[in-house]
This record gives sequence, C-alpha cells and structure tokens, in this order.
Amino acid sequence: MSNEEHIGLMEPPPKRWKGPMCVTEDSWVAHPVLSDEESQDIEMIEAFAAPIVDKKETSRLVRELGSIHPLNGLEHLKRVRAVKDKASPHSLEVLLCLVHDAPDTEAPVSIDSLLSSAVSSEGLGQPFVVNVPARAPLTRPQFELVSKQWPTSFHEDKRVTLALKGELFSPEQKARMQSYMMSAVAAAEAGKELGMEAVGAAMVDPSTETVVAVGHDCRADHPLHHAAMVCIDLVARSQGGGCYRFDRYPSCSFTPPDSDVTAQPYICTGYDLYVTREPCLMCAMALVHSRIGRIFYGTGSADGAFGTKYKLHSQKDLNHRFEVYEGVLGRQCEELKK
Amino acid sequence: YEVTLVMETKEGRSGDTAVEDIETWMDKAFDMAKDALQNGEVPVGCLMVYNSEVVGKGRNEVNETKNATRHAEMVALDELLNWCHSSNLDVSRVSRNTVLYVTVEPCVMCAAALRLLNIPTVVYGCRNERFGGCGSILDVSSADLPQTGNTFKCVSGHRAGEAVEMLKTFYKQENPNGINAYLNLPFISVLLLFLHLSFYFFSPQTKNEEGLIIHDHICRMIVLLLLIKDFFKLHYVT
Ligand SMILES: [Zn+2]
Ligand SMILES: [Zn+2]
Repeated sequence: MSNEEHIGLMEPPPKRWKGPMCVTEDSWVAHPVLSDEESQDIEMIEAFAAPIVDKKETSRLVRELGSIHPLNGLEHLKRVRAVKDKASPHSLEVLLCLVHDAPDTEAPVSIDSLLSSAVSSEGLGQPFVVNVPARAPLTRPQFELVSKQWPTSFHEDKRVTLALKGELFSPEQKARMQSYMMSAVAAAEAGKELGMEAVGAAMVDPSTETVVAVGHDCRADHPLHHAAMVCIDLVARSQGGGCYRFDRYPSCSFTPPDSDVTAQPYICTGYDLYVTREPCLMCAMALVHSRIGRIFYGTGSADGAFGTKYKLHSQKDLNHRFEVYEGVLGRQCEELKK
Repeated sequence: YEVTLVMETKEGRSGDTAVEDIETWMDKAFDMAKDALQNGEVPVGCLMVYNSEVVGKGRNEVNETKNATRHAEMVALDELLNWCHSSNLDVSRVSRNTVLYVTVEPCVMCAAALRLLNIPTVVYGCRNERFGGCGSILDVSSADLPQTGNTFKCVSGHRAGEAVEMLKTFYKQENPNGINAYLNLPFISVLLLFLHLSFYFFSPQTKNEEGLIIHDHICRMIVLLLLIKDFFKLHYVT
C-alpha cells in the first residue's frame, strides 16, 4: 500500500539519476513514526456476550450489568452492539463479562451461571464468546480493525489520521520539505567526497521557513561528529555559542547570529531537523536534550533510535515529546547508502 | 531486561579495575563535582583514566556553549581524543583501555558515545533517574546495537548518596539570584499585607475610585506572578 509509494514504485522507473531537479513531491510520503501502542495491533481478549431477544429489556439490562458486572479497565468497550446481519432474529447483543472473570462452568454455558442473582436474565438469549479489544484504539486503522470484532469508543487525533493517510502535508509544504532534505542530501554528497559517511542534515526554523544550519558527517575527524551532532553545534554557533569549527568544510554552514538575541530560541526548541538517515541513539538523545521540534529522516538505519531499534520520541519517562517522520525523499536518501 | 548494577567489592576486584583504584579516582571525581557545586555549576565530576593517568576531564558546558550535548562525559571524551593526538597514540588502542569515572550515571547520549569509542568500563556514583543510559531509562551499556561500538561494563554505587545530595542541592539553589528566590508564599503574603496596610492607613488621599482600581491591579499581578512562577524554572538544567 502506502509503503510501496515511498520506495518509489508509483513513479515511472527513472533511466538514470539526473540530479534533484527531476524529483517530484509525489515520489515520496512522510510516514509518521508512531509509538508501539499506536502502531501495533491491539491485543484481543475473550468475553461472553448474549443476544437481547426482548428489546424492551435493553435499558434495564444495561443499567443492571453496568452496576453489578462493570467492565473494569475496559471502559472503552460499548456494552451493546447492533447486529449487522439483517436476517438475524435479534437486533442487539450485550456484553456480559470477560471469559476469565466468569465462574468455571461446563459447556454449554448457561446465562444464569454467568450472571449474579441480582441481574435478571430475562430477555437474554444463549450466551456466546466474542473477541473484544483489551485496550482503547489510538489510531483510525486500529479503531477500524477492532470495531469489526466489537464496537469501542475512539478519541480520534485527526493529525495522526491524516499523517497515516499521507495527507498531513500540503503539496506546498511537501515542496518545502523536499528542498530542505535536498540540502541535507547535497551536504551528504559533499561529505562523501571528503571521505566521510554519506549522511547530511539540515536544521530548519519552520516559523520563518529558513535553514538555520546545514552539515554533514565528519567522523573521519572525530568519531562522534555524526551529521546531527554537527548540526546541533552549528545551531549553537548561530546563537553565538558552539565549540567546534567546521569552517574548512564549505558544506557545513550556519546562518550568522541574529543581532536580536531575545528572538533566539532555547537551543533547538521549535526547530525541525531533516536528516538523510535515521539518527543513532547518541544523536537521537542529543536531539532530545536540544529540545528539537520535529524530525524528518529519509531512510532507516540498522541501529536507528527513531523507529528501528528504539522509538526514543515516544519514551514515556523522557518528558520531551515530538513528532518523527520517515521517508522524506526516501529513495534519494537510500541511494546515499550505496 | 534490566541489569542490576552493584559494586563488586566482595571479590576485591571489579573486572580489571581494582577497588582501590575505584576509590582513588572516584574521590577525585567527587572533588570535581564539589568544586562545580561551589561555583554554581552542575555538580557532576568526570575523568577518564588510561594507564593510571588522567587523560580526560570534564564538566558540564551546556550553558556557555549553547550546545545541549556538552555534558561532562562528552567534554572528557574530547580531551581524551586530543590527548591521543598530541601524544601520537592510536585513539582506539587508548580508548579500549580507558576507564570512565563519573559521579552520576551517564545519560543515554553519553552512554552511546562511550560505546562508539569502545570505552570498556564505566564507574559511576548515583543513578540518573531522568536520562540514565545504563539502566535507568534505557540500558545502552548492554543493548544489542552492532553498529554502535561495543557494550561496556558498569560499576555503580560508589558514594551514591552523596552524589544525589549534590544534585538536589544544585537544583534547589538553581538561579538563587533570580526572581524565583522571592516568589515564595511567605514573601508574597507579607508584601500583599504591607501594600494593603500602606494603602489604607498612610495614603487616604488616594482613596478615590481610580486609586482603588490601581491598587487592586497590583495585588492581582502579584498573585498571578506567584501562580506562574514555575514556568520560569524549566530552562537551563542538565
Ligand atoms: Zn549518530
Ligand atoms: Zn550525558
């Protein structure tokens, strides 16, 4: 599906890489890198349900079951569902209890063995087992998947839904994103010429739509000078700080310090980083410390910390959360690895 | 899984690091941390020892460089690299035989950097509950990351209580001359009381409607300041 799009199956096969001018924004999709809870399938658990054969009993049943057999910790589940099959003799079904909460009874299970004596089983048919989601869905795909089994409540984050559909960014935004990643790719290529790893990065202030710093990997000089670390120090220099000199590399540059110091953000607060390859753990945590705004990377990496090995941006105990997107100019960034 | 990090003092040795060495070097690291605290800096002491020689030292330099990655360990690693270059020694040979002594557990970033340089042993004092990379947040030291150098061994707990106390003292006294020092409940209460009293007793001529409104505004502003004071506290920590 959308996965194939960013690898480039959707566009006609290019005969030869003719430089950045022939790339269009349609050839890639920025996929959100979501937390495991958002991206993994939701665990299902078994529960007993029963048809409501006498519809007039519905409100009493819902009231009594709610107070006598509450579904603790499963507040996301709707108690009653409508039966979609028009041919069914009953139109509603109600959740009774979880299978593992039910008393041990021999099959076939009788309705009265499942309910406490305080709840009258009047109006209920023969109980049966259904799968219900163990937790609330967080994304629309999860919601649609679990809803096939049993209806649940869902608080939709519209941004996440759009991002998952690849519709979060407008064509104009994508054109800008692409130009930022293009400068990172160009830096990566320049670094490669100098014998560095082919990784480049660009730090962007989205509020002014300006590139604050561009840098490439410099680990031939210093084993820790990964592209993101170089960019972080270049941003520091743009704010009048910084502790390294990358002046001998024309492709490592920054916007000179703003004379209005009060307009400067704290380190990288609110900035976006465009980096050709998924950052390693050191770079990822450096970006957390720098309070980065958002991260866009082109392609994954073996020890990557924003999707591959870790999802540092969704780590609960780090109190800096931010969005990470993968796949911007994915094919061109993948090309750099060769 | 989580590795339990204990000081292996019972056996007398911790890997290749003798217990006497640990005590000697950790005491030096603690001296550095104390110095930093007295100078109002982040109280973390850190040194890198190769062949019984200090080849790298560091203190937190985040504020002066405006680079949030300038943790004491990163500064010490730079010193180690410079030392290798100036003594014409192979970096990887030196770093593979270097022990890091630090008063606080290295953060995730520093732990990954230590791996990338193949530092084999890290001795630290207390846990770093917020960012620790040796088990507190993630266990970078032992994680399966084939592209991120080698795993390293952790020896922890030496003078841990003291290290925590220093950090607590630092965060408490942080920004002692700033506005936060005055924004406490007793101070504000006395100020408000004083304002009210002076208004009602000493300046009867301002007891017109306009004066009352201004007076009310001042009082409200002070209460508002008290309520939002935590907002100012969040910047410039480790
Ligand atoms: Zn890195
Ligand atoms: Zn650190």
